[in-house]
Amino acid sequence: MIRLQHVSMVFGAGPSRVAALSDVSFHIGKGEFVVLTGASGAGKTTLLRLLYRAESPSEGDIDVAGFDVSALRRSEIPRLRRSIGIVFQDAKLLAGRTVFENVAFVLRVLGTARRDITPKAFAALKAVGLSARAQAYPHQLSQGEAQRASLARAIVKSPGLLLADEATGNLDEEMANEILGLVKDIWSRGTTVLFATHQARLVPQLKRRTLRLEGGRLVKDEG
Amino acid sequence: MGILLSFVMNEAMRDLRRAGKIGLAAILLIALSLTALGGFWLLSLNLGRAIDQWGDRVRIIVYLKDEPAAAKVDDVLQRIEAVGGIQRLRYVSKAEALRALKRSLGSQADVADQLPRNPLPASVEVTPDAAIATPEGTRALVGRLATVPDVEEVQGGSQWVDGLAQFRRLFQGVGLVIGAVLAVAAILTVTTATTLVLHLRRDEMEIMRLVGATEHVIRAPRLVQGMAQGLVAAIIALAALEIAYALAVPRLEPLLPVTIGLERVTFLSPLQALALIGAGTLLGALGGLLARGRATA
Repeated sequence: MIRLQHVSMVFGAGPSRVAALSDVSFHIGKGEFVVLTGASGAGKTTLLRLLYRAESPSEGDIDVAGFDVSALRRSEIPRLRRSIGIVFQDAKLLAGRTVFENVAFVLRVLGTARRDITPKAFAALKAVGLSARAQAYPHQLSQGEAQRASLARAIVKSPGLLLADEATGNLDEEMANEILGLVKDIWSRGTTVLFATHQARLVPQLKRRTLRLEGGRLVKDEG
Repeated sequence: MGILLSFVMNEAMRDLRRAGKIGLAAILLIALSLTALGGFWLLSLNLGRAIDQWGDRVRIIVYLKDEPAAAKVDDVLQRIEAVGGIQRLRYVSKAEALRALKRSLGSQADVADQLPRNPLPASVEVTPDAAIATPEGTRALVGRLATVPDVEEVQGGSQWVDGLAQFRRLFQGVGLVIGAVLAVAAILTVTTATTLVLHLRRDEMEIMRLVGATEHVIRAPRLVQGMAQGLVAAIIALAALEIAYALAVPRLEPLLPVTIGLERVTFLSPLQALALIGAGTLLGALGGLLARGRATA
């Protein structure tokens, strides 16, 4: 599902040159649940951004879900992203729309048949336990609920890959555990998951294969 | 495709509401621009009709040095016709000219009877060919007629049409300049309104890019928003022109026959009205396309 080979990412030039990633290589198979860990600034977010082509690598090859991401033309990026669900630390919900509308927005934007939008959106909300809050607006949600809505939006299009970038970063332990549980449920239905977190306590909880970044380098791949 | 079209239209209408007062200003500016352009176009069309109709009515009067004998009238007419470009000739004897003068004097006609002799010359009324019935063609004909030996003086009807044609050209030029300035202002206002909306929509655009929407779907609403603004503005402009036409025509039409020789003022044809609406929609679309704003993702 994901293959990186000798990937480096450098920002800037000369004295302000920063190597966010250096010679990173790994492979994640279909259906795996992998934790990407490291301190803040280790390169986790940069790596994830490379996977959905928000950035292009300075060196190396990246393959995601059959797409040669490093060589992808700009016009093909939407096709790549349709196969990826992304959850961020900030839920990024649209303020003027209800929870249901936020989730349905994805389906409308992708041209889903009108008759399928409502059942699919409600199915996603049910999967994250938010059916009862479908008509609430983002400002009416708790942080945990907002993150669950964000998760519903990420999975409503049934992506093969879920990328979570510090999805529990803003949450207390209880809410974080809830979100983790939901992510595991999603994984158990066949979605490949790459879960990035700087919270060291989550790693032993998850008991999954762990990739650890330090200073942009992959220093550990175990589990 | 229908679903996406429906999405684009819904988002465009949402953006129109979000544009608020700036969006309204854009509509009004486009309407102002189109009203000015349409007004100048309307006036120019009617001036053009007046100029075209002149060609049917123009008369050149050729005054003869001496009144020819009855048997020689045809010879004189043939020499005049030989200069070319003449559709019709009518000989007016001195006596007929005096009778026409008396008719125009009306109740004062007996003043003409006091004259010791008929001072009016014999003349020939010349109607130019339709092909040369332009100010330039008429001027050339007048020049040729003046070279005929029998001719004392030539008076042509082209001066006022020259003036009218020049006025029309000036009018069109001024109208185009004013219209262009207003159109640029309208486009810039639509661009500003759309840029504002893009700024307000940046979160949505970011999400759209993250979930895999194509750039066409992301950009289409702003194009549709601009077109909608332009369309509404064009309809407003057309309505304004109709109202101005309805108010002005009853006051203007009595004066037209004696000033520019036009019987009535016509409004834009349905096709011309559609062209105006098309121009407005295009102005709005340009404004929408020129707006820049991009959420990074």
